[in-house]
Amino acid sequence: MAAVPVTCVRLTTSMQIVGKTSALKLVPMGRNKSGFPCLRTSRFQISCVAKPETVNKVCEIVKTQLALGADTVVAPDSKFASLGADSLDTVEIVMTLEEEFGISVEEENSQNITTVQEAADLIEKLVEKKNATA
Amino acid sequence: MAIRINTATFQSDLYRSFAFPQPKPLRSPKFAMASTIGSATTKVESTKKPFTPPREVHQQVLHSMPPQKIEIFKSMEGWAEDNILVHLKPVEKCWQAQDFLPDPASDGFMEQVEELRARAKEIPDDYFVVLVGDMITEEALPTYQTMLNTLDGVRDETGASPTSWAIWTRAWTAEENRHGDLLHQYLYLSGRVDMRQIQKTIQYLIGSGMDPRTENSPYLGFIYTSFQERATFISHGNTARHAKEHGDVKLAQMCGIIAADEKRHETAYTKIVEKLFEIDPDGTVLAFADMMRKKISMPAHLMYDGRDDNLFENFSAVAQRLGVYTAKDYADILEFLVGRWKVADLTGLSGEGRKAQDYVCGLAPRIRRLEERNSARAKESVNVPFSWIFDREVKL
Repeated sequence: MAAVPVTCVRLTTSMQIVGKTSALKLVPMGRNKSGFPCLRTSRFQISCVAKPETVNKVCEIVKTQLALGADTVVAPDSKFASLGADSLDTVEIVMTLEEEFGISVEEENSQNITTVQEAADLIEKLVEKKNATA
Repeated sequence: MAIRINTATFQSDLYRSFAFPQPKPLRSPKFAMASTIGSATTKVESTKKPFTPPREVHQQVLHSMPPQKIEIFKSMEGWAEDNILVHLKPVEKCWQAQDFLPDPASDGFMEQVEELRARAKEIPDDYFVVLVGDMITEEALPTYQTMLNTLDGVRDETGASPTSWAIWTRAWTAEENRHGDLLHQYLYLSGRVDMRQIQKTIQYLIGSGMDPRTENSPYLGFIYTSFQERATFISHGNTARHAKEHGDVKLAQMCGIIAADEKRHETAYTKIVEKLFEIDPDGTVLAFADMMRKKISMPAHLMYDGRDDNLFENFSAVAQRLGVYTAKDYADILEFLVGRWKVADLTGLSGEGRKAQDYVCGLAPRIRRLEERNSARAKESVNVPFSWIFDREVKL
Protein backbone atom coordinates (compact mmCIF):
# COMPACT_ATOMS: atom_id res chain seq x y z
CA MET A 1 0.00 0.00 0.00
CA ALA A 2 1.82 3.07 -1.21
CA ALA A 3 1.63 6.21 0.80
CA VAL A 4 -0.30 9.06 -0.68
CA PRO A 5 0.61 12.61 0.15
CA VAL A 6 -2.03 13.60 2.57
CA THR A 7 -1.30 17.24 3.12
CA CYS A 8 -4.65 18.28 1.78
CA VAL A 9 -6.80 15.41 2.78
CA ARG A 10 -7.82 14.74 6.33
CA LEU A 11 -8.68 11.21 7.13
CA THR A 12 -10.91 10.50 10.02
CA THR A 13 -12.21 7.03 10.03
CA SER A 14 -12.49 4.46 7.34
CA MET A 15 -10.50 3.65 4.31
CA GLN A 16 -12.44 1.56 1.92
CA ILE A 17 -10.63 -0.83 -0.25
CA VAL A 18 -12.61 -1.30 -3.37
CA GLY A 19 -11.84 -4.84 -4.35
CA LYS A 20 -13.14 -4.87 -7.87
CA THR A 21 -11.20 -1.96 -9.21
CA SER A 22 -8.35 -2.53 -6.79
CA ALA A 23 -8.13 1.18 -6.24
CA LEU A 24 -7.68 2.51 -2.81
CA LYS A 25 -10.49 4.90 -2.16
CA LEU A 26 -9.91 7.34 0.61
CA VAL A 27 -13.09 8.95 1.77
CA PRO A 28 -12.48 11.83 4.06
CA MET A 29 -15.22 12.04 6.60
CA GLY A 30 -15.42 14.86 8.98
CA ARG A 31 -17.35 17.83 10.15
CA ASN A 32 -15.56 20.14 7.81
CA LYS A 33 -18.21 21.34 5.45
CA SER A 34 -15.99 23.31 3.16
CA GLY A 35 -14.97 20.29 1.16
CA PHE A 36 -11.56 19.21 0.09
CA PRO A 37 -9.88 19.70 -3.21
CA CYS A 38 -10.05 16.70 -5.46
CA LEU A 39 -6.79 14.87 -5.83
CA ARG A 40 -6.22 12.56 -8.71
CA THR A 41 -3.02 10.65 -8.96
CA SER A 42 -2.16 8.12 -11.58
CA ARG A 43 -2.75 5.14 -9.34
CA PHE A 44 -5.20 6.28 -6.74
CA GLN A 45 -8.58 7.81 -6.98
CA ILE A 46 -9.71 9.95 -4.17
CA SER A 47 -13.38 10.80 -4.31
CA CYS A 48 -14.44 14.37 -3.92
CA VAL A 49 -16.31 15.37 -0.84
CA ALA A 50 -19.88 16.23 -1.69
CA LYS A 51 -20.99 19.84 -2.03
CA PRO A 52 -22.33 21.41 1.13
CA GLU A 53 -25.72 21.93 -0.52
CA THR A 54 -25.99 18.22 -1.14
CA VAL A 55 -25.02 17.40 2.41
CA ASN A 56 -27.54 19.91 3.73
CA LYS A 57 -30.31 18.51 1.56
CA VAL A 58 -29.58 15.04 2.85
CA CYS A 59 -29.63 16.30 6.45
CA GLU A 60 -32.99 17.89 5.78
CA ILE A 61 -34.45 14.72 4.34
CA VAL A 62 -33.12 12.65 7.22
CA LYS A 63 -34.56 15.06 9.76
CA THR A 64 -37.97 14.88 8.12
CA GLN A 65 -37.95 11.11 7.80
CA LEU A 66 -36.99 10.58 11.40
CA ALA A 67 -39.18 13.42 12.67
CA LEU A 68 -36.25 14.97 14.51
CA GLY A 69 -36.69 18.18 16.43
CA ALA A 70 -35.06 21.40 15.24
CA ASP A 71 -32.60 21.14 18.09
CA THR A 72 -31.31 17.72 17.05
CA VAL A 73 -27.92 17.99 15.39
CA VAL A 74 -27.52 16.03 12.20
CA ALA A 75 -23.90 16.09 11.18
CA PRO A 76 -22.38 14.66 8.02
CA ASP A 77 -20.88 11.81 9.95
CA SER A 78 -24.08 11.11 11.88
CA LYS A 79 -25.02 7.48 11.54
CA PHE A 80 -28.65 6.98 10.58
CA ALA A 81 -28.94 4.19 13.10
CA SER A 82 -27.82 6.39 15.98
CA LEU A 83 -30.38 9.00 14.93
CA GLY A 84 -33.01 6.34 15.49
CA ALA A 85 -33.47 5.04 11.96
CA ASP A 86 -34.47 1.44 11.49
CA SER A 87 -34.02 -0.49 8.27
CA LEU A 88 -37.32 0.76 6.87
CA ASP A 89 -36.35 4.38 7.60
CA THR A 90 -33.05 3.93 5.79
CA VAL A 91 -34.80 2.49 2.76
CA GLU A 92 -37.28 5.35 2.75
CA ILE A 93 -34.51 7.90 3.12
CA VAL A 94 -32.76 6.46 0.10
CA MET A 95 -36.07 6.44 -1.81
CA THR A 96 -36.61 10.12 -1.01
CA LEU A 97 -33.06 10.92 -2.07
CA GLU A 98 -33.69 9.14 -5.35
CA GLU A 99 -36.77 11.27 -5.92
CA GLU A 100 -35.12 14.53 -4.87
CA PHE A 101 -32.01 14.09 -6.98
CA GLY A 102 -33.49 12.13 -9.86
CA ILE A 103 -31.12 9.22 -9.43
CA SER A 104 -31.43 5.50 -9.03
CA VAL A 105 -29.61 3.66 -6.29
CA GLU A 106 -28.68 0.03 -6.74
CA GLU A 107 -29.52 -2.26 -3.88
CA GLU A 108 -25.88 -3.15 -3.24
CA ASN A 109 -24.97 0.51 -2.91
CA SER A 110 -27.88 1.25 -0.64
CA GLN A 111 -26.53 -1.20 1.91
CA ASN A 112 -23.39 0.93 2.23
CA ILE A 113 -25.20 4.13 3.09
CA THR A 114 -25.06 4.51 6.83
CA THR A 115 -24.27 8.20 7.27
CA VAL A 116 -25.30 11.53 5.78
CA GLN A 117 -21.87 11.96 4.21
CA GLU A 118 -21.98 8.56 2.54
CA ALA A 119 -25.40 9.37 1.11
CA ALA A 120 -24.25 12.75 -0.18
CA ASP A 121 -21.13 11.28 -1.75
CA LEU A 122 -23.09 8.57 -3.51
CA ILE A 123 -25.63 11.12 -4.73
CA GLU A 124 -22.94 13.30 -6.24
CA LYS A 125 -21.37 10.33 -7.94
CA LEU A 126 -24.69 9.22 -9.41
CA VAL A 127 -25.70 12.74 -10.47
CA GLU A 128 -22.34 13.19 -12.15
CA LYS A 129 -22.77 9.88 -13.94
CA LYS A 130 -26.28 10.81 -14.98
CA ASN A 131 -25.16 14.17 -16.34
CA ALA A 132 -22.26 12.55 -18.15
CA THR A 133 -24.51 10.12 -20.00
CA ALA A 134 -27.27 12.71 -20.66
CA MET B 1 -34.02 0.75 -5.17
CA ALA B 2 -34.74 -2.85 -5.41
CA ILE B 3 -36.22 -3.61 -2.06
CA ARG B 4 -37.48 -7.05 -2.12
CA ILE B 5 -40.21 -7.78 0.24
CA ASN B 6 -40.51 -11.30 1.17
CA THR B 7 -43.67 -12.45 2.20
CA ALA B 8 -42.34 -14.74 4.51
CA THR B 9 -40.38 -12.79 6.61
CA PHE B 10 -40.90 -9.41 4.26
CA GLN B 11 -39.84 -12.13 4.14
CA SER B 12 -34.55 -11.59 3.60
CA ASP B 13 -35.63 -9.23 5.97
CA LEU B 14 -38.67 -8.85 4.06
CA TYR B 15 -38.00 -11.99 2.26
CA ARG B 16 -37.94 -13.86 5.43
CA SER B 17 -41.21 -12.46 6.40
CA PHE B 18 -43.87 -14.59 5.04
CA ALA B 19 -45.58 -17.33 6.84
CA PHE B 20 -45.68 -19.46 9.88
CA PRO B 21 -46.67 -22.91 9.87
CA GLN B 22 -47.27 -22.50 6.38
CA PRO B 23 -45.33 -19.55 5.85
CA LYS B 24 -44.94 -18.75 2.46
CA PRO B 25 -42.21 -16.58 1.48
CA LEU B 26 -42.11 -13.52 3.33
CA ARG B 27 -38.91 -12.79 3.03
CA SER B 28 -39.16 -10.90 1.03
CA PRO B 29 -39.92 -9.01 -0.53
CA LYS B 30 -36.78 -8.54 1.01
CA PHE B 31 -38.37 -6.29 3.40
CA ALA B 32 -40.56 -8.01 5.72
CA MET B 33 -39.36 -11.29 5.85
CA ALA B 34 -36.57 -12.07 7.88
CA SER B 35 -34.25 -9.33 7.98
CA THR B 36 -32.70 -8.64 4.75
CA ILE B 37 -32.70 -4.97 5.07
CA GLY B 38 -29.84 -4.41 7.43
CA SER B 39 -31.43 -4.50 10.83
CA ALA B 40 -29.90 -2.90 13.81
CA THR B 41 -29.57 -6.10 15.81
CA THR B 42 -26.28 -7.72 16.54
CA LYS B 43 -25.34 -10.14 13.86
CA VAL B 44 -23.66 -13.35 14.82
CA GLU B 45 -20.35 -14.21 13.21
CA SER B 46 -20.98 -16.67 10.47
CA THR B 47 -18.71 -17.30 7.60
CA LYS B 48 -20.81 -19.53 5.45
CA LYS B 49 -19.02 -22.48 4.03
CA PRO B 50 -20.31 -23.55 0.66
CA PHE B 51 -22.89 -26.34 0.64
CA THR B 52 -23.93 -25.90 4.24
CA PRO B 53 -27.41 -24.99 5.39
CA PRO B 54 -27.95 -21.37 6.44
CA ARG B 55 -28.13 -20.42 10.09
CA GLU B 56 -29.87 -17.63 11.96
CA VAL B 57 -27.74 -14.54 11.86
CA HIS B 58 -29.08 -12.58 14.79
CA GLN B 59 -28.19 -13.11 18.41
CA GLN B 60 -30.94 -15.06 20.14
CA VAL B 61 -32.71 -13.30 23.00
CA LEU B 62 -34.41 -15.29 25.75
CA HIS B 63 -37.18 -14.68 28.27
CA SER B 64 -37.83 -11.03 27.51
CA MET B 65 -41.27 -11.14 29.14
CA PRO B 66 -41.10 -10.11 32.82
CA PRO B 67 -41.75 -13.29 34.89
CA GLN B 68 -44.64 -11.71 36.80
CA LYS B 69 -46.64 -11.68 33.57
CA ILE B 70 -46.62 -15.46 33.51
CA GLU B 71 -49.47 -15.15 36.02
CA ILE B 72 -51.63 -13.58 33.35
CA PHE B 73 -51.53 -16.75 31.29
CA LYS B 74 -52.13 -19.03 34.26
CA SER B 75 -55.20 -17.01 35.11
CA MET B 76 -56.39 -17.18 31.50
CA GLU B 77 -56.57 -20.97 31.42
CA GLY B 78 -60.28 -21.11 32.17
CA TRP B 79 -61.01 -18.46 29.59
CA ALA B 80 -58.86 -20.33 27.06
CA GLU B 81 -60.77 -23.55 27.65
CA ASP B 82 -64.09 -21.82 26.90
CA ASN B 83 -62.95 -19.53 24.13
CA ILE B 84 -59.95 -21.02 22.35
CA LEU B 85 -60.32 -24.80 22.55
CA VAL B 86 -63.71 -24.42 20.90
CA HIS B 87 -61.87 -23.60 17.68
CA LEU B 88 -60.39 -27.08 17.57
CA LYS B 89 -62.30 -29.64 15.58
CA PRO B 90 -63.06 -33.00 17.19
CA VAL B 91 -60.97 -35.66 15.49
CA GLU B 92 -64.04 -37.64 14.47
CA LYS B 93 -65.22 -34.63 12.48
CA CYS B 94 -61.86 -33.91 10.87
CA TRP B 95 -60.83 -34.60 7.31
CA GLN B 96 -57.90 -36.92 6.78
CA ALA B 97 -55.44 -36.82 3.90
CA GLN B 98 -56.84 -40.08 2.57
CA ASP B 99 -60.16 -38.33 1.90
CA PHE B 100 -58.47 -36.41 -0.92
CA LEU B 101 -56.21 -39.07 -2.39
CA PRO B 102 -56.64 -42.19 -4.52
CA ASP B 103 -57.82 -45.09 -2.37
CA PRO B 104 -55.19 -47.83 -2.28
CA ALA B 105 -57.71 -50.34 -0.96
CA SER B 106 -59.97 -49.94 -3.96
CA ASP B 107 -59.82 -51.64 -7.33
CA GLY B 108 -59.89 -48.27 -9.03
CA PHE B 109 -56.72 -47.12 -7.30
CA MET B 110 -54.40 -47.27 -10.31
CA GLU B 111 -56.92 -45.47 -12.47
CA GLN B 112 -57.37 -42.75 -9.87
CA VAL B 113 -53.61 -42.31 -9.75
CA GLU B 114 -53.46 -42.05 -13.54
CA GLU B 115 -56.12 -39.35 -13.43
CA LEU B 116 -54.23 -37.47 -10.74
CA ARG B 117 -51.05 -37.59 -12.81
CA ALA B 118 -52.85 -36.52 -15.97
CA ARG B 119 -54.21 -33.45 -14.19
CA ALA B 120 -50.81 -32.70 -12.68
CA LYS B 121 -49.23 -32.75 -16.12
CA GLU B 122 -51.27 -29.68 -17.04
CA ILE B 123 -49.90 -27.67 -14.15
CA PRO B 124 -46.79 -25.60 -14.83
CA ASP B 125 -43.45 -25.95 -13.06
CA ASP B 126 -43.57 -22.60 -11.33
CA TYR B 127 -46.77 -23.59 -9.56
CA PHE B 128 -45.12 -26.79 -8.39
CA VAL B 129 -42.12 -24.90 -7.05
CA VAL B 130 -44.44 -22.88 -4.84
CA LEU B 131 -46.52 -25.89 -3.82
CA VAL B 132 -43.37 -27.78 -2.91
CA GLY B 133 -42.06 -24.87 -0.87
CA ASP B 134 -45.38 -24.77 0.97
CA MET B 135 -45.30 -28.50 1.54
CA ILE B 136 -41.76 -28.36 2.91
CA THR B 137 -42.84 -25.62 5.26
CA GLU B 138 -45.74 -27.73 6.50
CA GLU B 139 -43.50 -30.73 6.95
CA ALA B 140 -41.24 -28.76 9.28
CA LEU B 141 -44.04 -28.94 11.86
CA PRO B 142 -41.78 -30.26 14.65
CA THR B 143 -40.10 -26.85 14.65
CA TYR B 144 -43.43 -25.08 15.15
CA GLN B 145 -44.60 -27.27 17.99
CA THR B 146 -41.20 -26.67 19.56
CA MET B 147 -41.59 -22.96 19.06
CA LEU B 148 -44.94 -22.91 20.83
CA ASN B 149 -43.39 -24.84 23.68
CA THR B 150 -40.65 -22.25 24.13
CA LEU B 151 -43.25 -19.72 25.27
CA ASP B 152 -43.32 -18.94 29.01
CA GLY B 153 -46.60 -19.45 30.79
CA VAL B 154 -48.20 -21.53 28.07
CA ARG B 155 -45.71 -24.28 27.30
CA ASP B 156 -46.55 -27.95 27.55
CA GLU B 157 -44.33 -28.90 30.47
CA THR B 158 -44.52 -32.68 30.13
CA GLY B 159 -45.75 -33.42 26.66
CA ALA B 160 -49.12 -34.36 28.11
CA SER B 161 -49.86 -31.38 30.30
CA PRO B 162 -53.58 -30.89 31.05
CA THR B 163 -53.53 -27.08 30.85
CA SER B 164 -55.74 -25.49 28.19
CA TRP B 165 -52.70 -24.02 26.52
CA ALA B 166 -50.99 -27.41 26.25
CA ILE B 167 -54.14 -29.05 25.00
CA TRP B 168 -54.40 -26.37 22.35
CA THR B 169 -50.79 -26.77 21.26
CA ARG B 170 -50.98 -30.54 20.92
CA ALA B 171 -54.29 -30.50 19.11
CA TRP B 172 -53.17 -27.67 16.86
CA THR B 173 -50.06 -29.69 15.98
CA ALA B 174 -52.19 -32.73 15.27
CA GLU B 175 -54.41 -30.76 12.90
CA GLU B 176 -51.45 -29.21 11.13
CA ASN B 177 -49.81 -32.58 10.74
CA ARG B 178 -52.42 -33.56 8.19
CA HIS B 179 -51.38 -30.68 5.94
CA GLY B 180 -47.88 -31.97 5.34
CA ASP B 181 -49.17 -35.51 4.94
CA LEU B 182 -51.70 -34.51 2.31
CA LEU B 183 -49.30 -32.41 0.27
CA HIS B 184 -46.53 -34.96 0.56
CA GLN B 185 -48.66 -37.79 -0.72
CA TYR B 186 -50.09 -35.67 -3.51
CA LEU B 187 -46.65 -34.59 -4.68
CA TYR B 188 -45.41 -38.18 -4.47
CA LEU B 189 -48.19 -39.46 -6.68
CA SER B 190 -48.07 -36.52 -9.10
CA GLY B 191 -44.75 -37.56 -10.64
CA ARG B 192 -43.93 -33.94 -11.36
CA VAL B 193 -41.30 -33.41 -8.68
CA ASP B 194 -38.06 -34.87 -7.33
CA MET B 195 -39.22 -36.40 -4.04
CA ARG B 196 -35.73 -37.22 -2.87
CA GLN B 197 -34.55 -33.62 -3.18
CA ILE B 198 -37.70 -32.44 -1.45
CA GLN B 199 -37.27 -34.92 1.37
CA LYS B 200 -33.65 -33.84 1.77
CA THR B 201 -34.78 -30.23 1.99
CA ILE B 202 -37.23 -31.18 4.73
CA GLN B 203 -34.52 -32.96 6.68
CA TYR B 204 -32.25 -29.93 6.43
CA LEU B 205 -35.04 -27.58 7.44
CA ILE B 206 -36.13 -29.49 10.53
CA GLY B 207 -32.44 -29.70 11.44
CA SER B 208 -32.06 -25.94 11.07
CA GLY B 209 -35.14 -24.98 13.02
CA MET B 210 -36.06 -21.33 13.14
CA ASP B 211 -35.97 -18.41 15.54
CA PRO B 212 -39.02 -16.22 15.06
CA ARG B 213 -37.55 -13.88 17.70
CA THR B 214 -40.45 -14.39 20.04
CA GLU B 215 -38.00 -14.49 22.96
CA ASN B 216 -40.09 -16.98 24.99
CA SER B 217 -42.79 -14.32 25.27
CA PRO B 218 -46.34 -15.47 24.58
CA TYR B 219 -47.19 -11.88 23.70
CA LEU B 220 -44.68 -11.98 20.87
CA GLY B 221 -45.44 -15.63 20.15
CA PHE B 222 -49.19 -15.27 19.68
CA ILE B 223 -48.82 -12.11 17.64
CA TYR B 224 -46.42 -14.03 15.44
CA THR B 225 -48.75 -17.01 15.05
CA SER B 226 -51.73 -14.74 14.35
CA PHE B 227 -49.80 -13.20 11.49
CA GLN B 228 -48.59 -16.54 10.22
CA GLU B 229 -51.92 -18.31 10.25
CA ARG B 230 -53.45 -15.54 8.23
CA ALA B 231 -50.48 -15.64 5.85
CA THR B 232 -50.88 -19.35 5.29
CA PHE B 233 -54.62 -18.95 4.89
CA ILE B 234 -54.02 -16.42 2.13
CA SER B 235 -51.26 -18.46 0.57
CA HIS B 236 -53.14 -21.76 0.44
CA GLY B 237 -56.21 -19.92 -0.74
CA ASN B 238 -54.16 -18.66 -3.65
CA THR B 239 -52.68 -22.04 -4.53
CA ALA B 240 -56.21 -23.43 -4.46
CA ARG B 241 -57.42 -20.77 -6.84
CA HIS B 242 -54.50 -21.33 -9.20
CA ALA B 243 -55.00 -25.09 -9.17
CA LYS B 244 -58.56 -24.53 -10.27
CA GLU B 245 -57.38 -22.22 -13.04
CA HIS B 246 -55.06 -24.98 -14.21
CA GLY B 247 -57.99 -27.34 -14.34
CA ASP B 248 -57.27 -29.44 -11.24
CA VAL B 249 -60.34 -29.21 -9.08
CA LYS B 250 -59.19 -31.97 -6.72
CA LEU B 251 -55.90 -30.22 -5.98
CA ALA B 252 -57.85 -27.02 -5.49
CA GLN B 253 -59.97 -28.81 -2.89
CA MET B 254 -56.86 -30.04 -1.09
CA CYS B 255 -55.38 -26.57 -0.85
CA GLY B 256 -58.76 -25.17 0.05
CA ILE B 257 -59.33 -27.55 2.94
CA ILE B 258 -55.89 -26.71 4.32
CA ALA B 259 -56.71 -23.01 3.99
CA ALA B 260 -59.92 -23.57 5.96
CA ASP B 261 -57.93 -25.05 8.86
CA GLU B 262 -55.59 -22.07 8.81
CA LYS B 263 -58.55 -19.72 8.99
CA ARG B 264 -59.82 -21.47 12.07
CA HIS B 265 -56.40 -21.28 13.67
CA GLU B 266 -56.11 -17.62 12.78
CA THR B 267 -59.40 -16.99 14.56
CA ALA B 268 -58.10 -18.68 17.69
CA TYR B 269 -54.77 -16.90 17.83
CA THR B 270 -56.19 -13.47 17.08
CA LYS B 271 -58.70 -14.03 19.86
CA ILE B 272 -55.91 -14.68 22.34
CA VAL B 273 -54.13 -11.48 21.36
CA GLU B 274 -57.42 -9.57 21.48
CA LYS B 275 -57.77 -10.72 25.08
CA LEU B 276 -54.21 -9.64 25.82
CA PHE B 277 -54.97 -6.18 24.45
CA GLU B 278 -57.86 -6.09 26.89
CA ILE B 279 -55.83 -7.21 29.89
CA ASP B 280 -52.58 -5.40 29.14
CA PRO B 281 -52.97 -2.95 26.26
CA ASP B 282 -49.63 -1.27 26.79
CA GLY B 283 -47.63 -4.49 26.94
CA THR B 284 -49.43 -5.93 23.95
CA VAL B 285 -49.06 -2.89 21.69
CA LEU B 286 -45.36 -2.76 22.55
CA ALA B 287 -45.11 -6.42 21.63
CA PHE B 288 -46.94 -5.84 18.35
CA ALA B 289 -44.59 -3.00 17.38
CA ASP B 290 -41.60 -5.08 18.41
CA MET B 291 -42.58 -8.00 16.19
CA MET B 292 -43.28 -5.71 13.26
CA ARG B 293 -39.95 -3.90 13.65
CA LYS B 294 -38.17 -7.23 13.71
CA LYS B 295 -40.30 -8.25 10.77
CA ILE B 296 -42.32 -11.43 10.72
CA SER B 297 -39.92 -14.01 9.37
CA MET B 298 -41.10 -16.98 7.43
CA PRO B 299 -40.81 -20.29 9.11
CA ALA B 300 -38.93 -21.83 6.23
CA HIS B 301 -36.43 -19.07 5.65
CA LEU B 302 -33.55 -21.41 6.47
CA MET B 303 -34.55 -23.94 3.84
CA TYR B 304 -31.73 -25.63 1.97
CA ASP B 305 -31.58 -28.45 -0.55
CA GLY B 306 -27.88 -29.20 -0.52
CA ARG B 307 -27.34 -27.24 -3.70
CA ASP B 308 -28.86 -23.78 -3.73
CA ASP B 309 -27.59 -21.21 -1.24
CA ASN B 310 -30.43 -18.88 -2.17
CA LEU B 311 -33.18 -21.44 -2.15
CA PHE B 312 -35.60 -19.58 0.11
CA GLU B 313 -35.05 -16.31 -1.70
CA ASN B 314 -35.64 -17.96 -5.06
CA PHE B 315 -38.73 -19.77 -3.85
CA SER B 316 -40.07 -16.54 -2.35
CA ALA B 317 -39.51 -14.71 -5.60
CA VAL B 318 -41.57 -17.26 -7.50
CA ALA B 319 -44.33 -17.10 -4.91
CA GLN B 320 -44.29 -13.34 -5.20
CA ARG B 321 -44.42 -13.42 -8.99
CA LEU B 322 -47.30 -15.90 -9.03
CA GLY B 323 -49.17 -13.82 -6.51
CA VAL B 324 -49.38 -16.71 -4.05
CA TYR B 325 -47.83 -14.70 -1.25
CA THR B 326 -46.57 -11.20 -1.80
CA ALA B 327 -45.34 -8.10 -0.09
CA LYS B 328 -48.78 -6.67 -0.64
CA ASP B 329 -50.20 -9.60 1.32
CA TYR B 330 -47.79 -8.82 4.13
CA ALA B 331 -49.06 -5.25 4.27
CA ASP B 332 -52.68 -6.43 4.03
CA ILE B 333 -52.25 -8.86 6.91
CA LEU B 334 -50.70 -6.16 9.05
CA GLU B 335 -53.53 -3.81 8.24
CA PHE B 336 -56.07 -6.49 9.00
CA LEU B 337 -54.55 -7.19 12.40
CA VAL B 338 -54.36 -3.50 13.28
CA GLY B 339 -58.08 -3.34 12.54
CA ARG B 340 -58.95 -6.64 14.17
CA TRP B 341 -57.31 -5.64 17.41
CA LYS B 342 -58.54 -2.03 17.20
CA VAL B 343 -55.05 -0.76 17.82
CA ALA B 344 -55.91 2.77 16.71
CA ASP B 345 -58.57 3.02 19.44
CA LEU B 346 -56.33 2.07 22.33
CA THR B 347 -56.24 4.58 25.15
CA GLY B 348 -54.38 4.95 28.40
CA LEU B 349 -51.09 3.97 26.86
CA SER B 350 -47.70 4.98 28.15
CA GLY B 351 -45.43 7.23 26.10
CA GLU B 352 -43.65 4.21 24.66
CA GLY B 353 -47.00 2.57 24.07
CA ARG B 354 -48.25 5.53 22.06
CA LYS B 355 -45.10 5.48 19.95
CA ALA B 356 -45.66 1.78 19.33
CA GLN B 357 -49.29 2.44 18.45
CA ASP B 358 -48.28 5.12 15.94
CA TYR B 359 -45.64 2.91 14.44
CA VAL B 360 -47.93 -0.06 13.96
CA CYS B 361 -50.83 2.00 12.64
CA GLY B 362 -48.63 3.80 10.13
CA LEU B 363 -46.62 0.84 8.93
CA ALA B 364 -48.82 -0.81 6.30
CA PRO B 365 -48.99 2.27 4.01
CA ARG B 366 -45.21 2.62 4.21
CA ILE B 367 -44.72 -0.98 3.15
CA ARG B 368 -47.17 -0.58 0.31
CA ARG B 369 -45.42 2.52 -0.95
CA LEU B 370 -42.12 0.69 -0.89
CA GLU B 371 -43.53 -2.23 -2.76
CA GLU B 372 -45.14 0.01 -5.37
CA ARG B 373 -41.83 1.70 -5.98
CA ASN B 374 -40.12 -1.61 -6.20
CA SER B 375 -42.53 -3.20 -8.62
CA ALA B 376 -42.46 -0.10 -10.81
CA ARG B 377 -38.81 -0.75 -11.43
CA ALA B 378 -38.13 -2.80 -14.51
CA LYS B 379 -36.35 -5.93 -13.51
CA GLU B 380 -34.59 -8.26 -15.84
CA SER B 381 -36.14 -11.68 -15.79
CA VAL B 382 -33.96 -14.39 -14.35
CA ASN B 383 -34.52 -18.10 -14.75
CA VAL B 384 -33.17 -20.39 -12.08
CA PRO B 385 -33.16 -24.15 -11.76
CA PHE B 386 -34.85 -25.81 -8.80
CA SER B 387 -33.62 -29.21 -7.68
CA TRP B 388 -37.18 -29.92 -6.53
CA ILE B 389 -38.18 -30.17 -10.20
CA PHE B 390 -35.11 -31.98 -11.43
CA ASP B 391 -33.23 -28.74 -12.09
CA ARG B 392 -35.78 -27.53 -14.55
CA GLU B 393 -35.79 -23.75 -14.66
CA VAL B 394 -38.43 -21.35 -13.53
CA LYS B 395 -38.62 -17.58 -13.88
CA LEU B 396 -38.15 -15.57 -10.68
